[in-house]
Amino acid sequence: MKQKNNIFLMLTSIIIAIMLIPLIDIIGELLSKPSENWEHIKEYLLLDYISDTILVTIPSMILALIIGVSLAWFISVYDFPFRNLLKWGLILPLAIPPYIGAYTYSGIVSYTGFIQTFLRNTLNIEANPKFFDIFSINGSVFIFTIFLYPYIYMIVRSYISNNSASIIENARLLGEKGTGIFFRIFLPISRGAIVAGTSLVMLEILSDYGVVSYFGVQTFSSAIFSSWFNFSDTNSAVRLSGILLLVVFIIITFEKLLRGNKNFSQTNSKIRQIKRKQLGSKSSFFVYFFGLTVFFLGFILPVGQLIYWAFLSYKDVLNIDFLKLIFNSIFIAIVSTIFIVIASLIIGNSTRLSKKMTSKLYSKITLMGYSIPGAIISITVILFFVDLDNILNFFIKHIGIQNINFTFSLSIYMLIFGYFIRFLGVGYQAVESGYEKNGKKFYEASKILGKNDVKTFFLIDIPMLKNAIIASFALVFVDIIKELPLALILRPFNFNTLSTKVFNYANDEMIIEASIPSLFIIFVTIIVIIFLNNMGRKKKKNVYENK
Amino acid sequence: MYMKINDLYFKYENSAVDNLKNINIEIDKGEIIGVLGESGCGKSTLLRIIAGLEIPYKGKIIINDKIIFNKKIFIEPEKRGIGMVFQDYALFPHMNIDKNITFGLKNFSRKEKREILDNMIELVGLKDHLGKYPYQLSGGQQQRVAVARALAPNPSILLLDEPFSNLDSHLKDQIRMDMKEILNKSKTTCIFVTHDKEDVLSLSSRIIIISDGVIKDDYSVEKMVDII
Ligand SMILES: Nc1ncnc2c1ncn2[C@@H]1O[C@H](COP(=O)(O)OP(=O)(O)O)[C@@H](O)[C@H]1O
Ligand SMILES: [Mg+2]
Repeated sequence: MKQKNNIFLMLTSIIIAIMLIPLIDIIGELLSKPSENWEHIKEYLLLDYISDTILVTIPSMILALIIGVSLAWFISVYDFPFRNLLKWGLILPLAIPPYIGAYTYSGIVSYTGFIQTFLRNTLNIEANPKFFDIFSINGSVFIFTIFLYPYIYMIVRSYISNNSASIIENARLLGEKGTGIFFRIFLPISRGAIVAGTSLVMLEILSDYGVVSYFGVQTFSSAIFSSWFNFSDTNSAVRLSGILLLVVFIIITFEKLLRGNKNFSQTNSKIRQIKRKQLGSKSSFFVYFFGLTVFFLGFILPVGQLIYWAFLSYKDVLNIDFLKLIFNSIFIAIVSTIFIVIASLIIGNSTRLSKKMTSKLYSKITLMGYSIPGAIISITVILFFVDLDNILNFFIKHIGIQNINFTFSLSIYMLIFGYFIRFLGVGYQAVESGYEKNGKKFYEASKILGKNDVKTFFLIDIPMLKNAIIASFALVFVDIIKELPLALILRPFNFNTLSTKVFNYANDEMIIEASIPSLFIIFVTIIVIIFLNNMGRKKKKNVYENK
Repeated sequence: MYMKINDLYFKYENSAVDNLKNINIEIDKGEIIGVLGESGCGKSTLLRIIAGLEIPYKGKIIINDKIIFNKKIFIEPEKRGIGMVFQDYALFPHMNIDKNITFGLKNFSRKEKREILDNMIELVGLKDHLGKYPYQLSGGQQQRVAVARALAPNPSILLLDEPFSNLDSHLKDQIRMDMKEILNKSKTTCIFVTHDKEDVLSLSSRIIIISDGVIKDDYSVEKMVDII
């Protein structure tokens, strides 16, 4: 439809511009002369960064793939005792951010930790400490695998249960056996979903700072941070970011190619359950053992450990400062999320109405932030804010005002801005799928009945998007509560959130004290997962269906 | 002449050929025109163009001496004062039927709105259902709400897209008669599109036949009865 002065398109263009402007600094830095330090990095360190990054990312990805896909397969097509419990339980490791997982496991497997003590005192086994050296590449792989596989598990499971009931049942009727169905039908059908989940896992790993820095692994993200923090070498940090960004774009392009143009957002409405097959007792036992082990390692054990530590430390940790921490985290998450949801609504409204290339591009740019590692976004944002301060101060001195000095780069706005760029894609995706579900007809009906775009937005779109808005809000909110790298770099001096506090405790050898803020983060995340899941279920008999 | 469509051409962005070609229609006030054609021939597109939801690349549309579309002028759909009933009604699911029906009323006092609502409810016979939500109504009732909603702002012309296609066949005859009565009472000029000859025979005074985006025939219903 033709739009003359579309206010939504205008606002969208402004938002997109705000997101892109900081890139100018990055490009400028990339084009400038490399620092001396960069020569050193190139000569001696770059190869290590590359090899550590590959050695962490690829094995984690493969293991998460195997665990995620096989569990999705068992849960989707077989019935066994307590299947439902496992079905939800296997999502829960997602509630534990990998960096918290890493701190917790470093305690669990330490010489005085639960596992070695148990082996020593109960089983009388003196384990080779090498085996439990978690401060290593292998340790990182374990952490990423066990806490990130749920991305793959969730996407594949929901895709299969929404889309392939009849295909799998038909194959069964045609006499295909279990493994045959798995390799000849399940894998090909869910390829797109598998690719989507896997690339999500890879991007999470590339973005991670908490795990690798704690374990002393030199991936690109940790290298960017150390150039920045330890050597104050902006130029090298930006160059490393450039390389990492290239890798991310290759992954995204690869993902697009591999999965085709399907959309895997989990809002499919017409669902027919697969008729699940009863498993024999032997196979049941195997599946159960496998599933429970994963659930135990990914959730029960670390949470149990954290709760135990919480009992040891609550007297020292629970005080006014802790309340302040909670307040900070929630406050900044809510403020950022509000901006993000509003922007998502505006962008979604303008991109769905126009089929033009620009609006497709806008949509892509909006989604982009989530693929870009936090380290890169934080550096971009800092450089931008420092420039902004300089320009504003120059300008204001120029017109003769002396007593004002802008310091946005020391303020909370910088962190909010960073979150905005990083998580706009998350909020937008949820809102966009809501717009898509409602379609254009209500908008058109409202226009014909004499309401312009703005009135239609408030009277029709927003009320009808209620669920999508809530989902968007919840998703962004937990992502921000969990987020670490941005908070670490962009927070104002002396401003702590739950996640930065956890980081600080852990890096000060105080993992026990880190348990309570960690549990709080995990708790909030679980609540949101349960909440979103209930909402999804209610949607099935929703009043919006027009028949 | 009340409404005039002149030399109209339309093509969807991703379509290789014109979806509507050389469309010329003239309509008198109060006429009820049935546009008949097979699925995919461009009927809905024609209505969407008249409503302002799609933009032709050539042509002219005039209603009541006012140009609403030509090379230079494009009146936005919200300013055209046209009523339209979508094929699946598009009732706003989050509003009850009272709110749906009065949605398009602008610049009326509360009392006036109430009066119009009462008139419309009376016209479409939904007295017992005031305050209900769309999902609580049957398909036929939803359609009446959609008609009432379109008629409430007193549109210059009413467009109906396949008004009977979503209804059970054993109800169709009754609903066609009811619709005819509603249209006659409200004295609205009306264009409706359908793929079903029965609809045209029972409802319209004139018929236009479209095939592959081109008008093939245009004659009175009396003549159509002769032809069939
Ligand atoms: N949004 C669209 N984009 C591209 N082509 C379309 C679109 N909507 C309809 N068409 C095509 O235009 C032609 C006419 O469609 P339509 O007006 O809906 O037909 P009818 O209502 O007579 O069944 C069909 O060939 C259809 O495939
Ligand atoms: Mg149609």
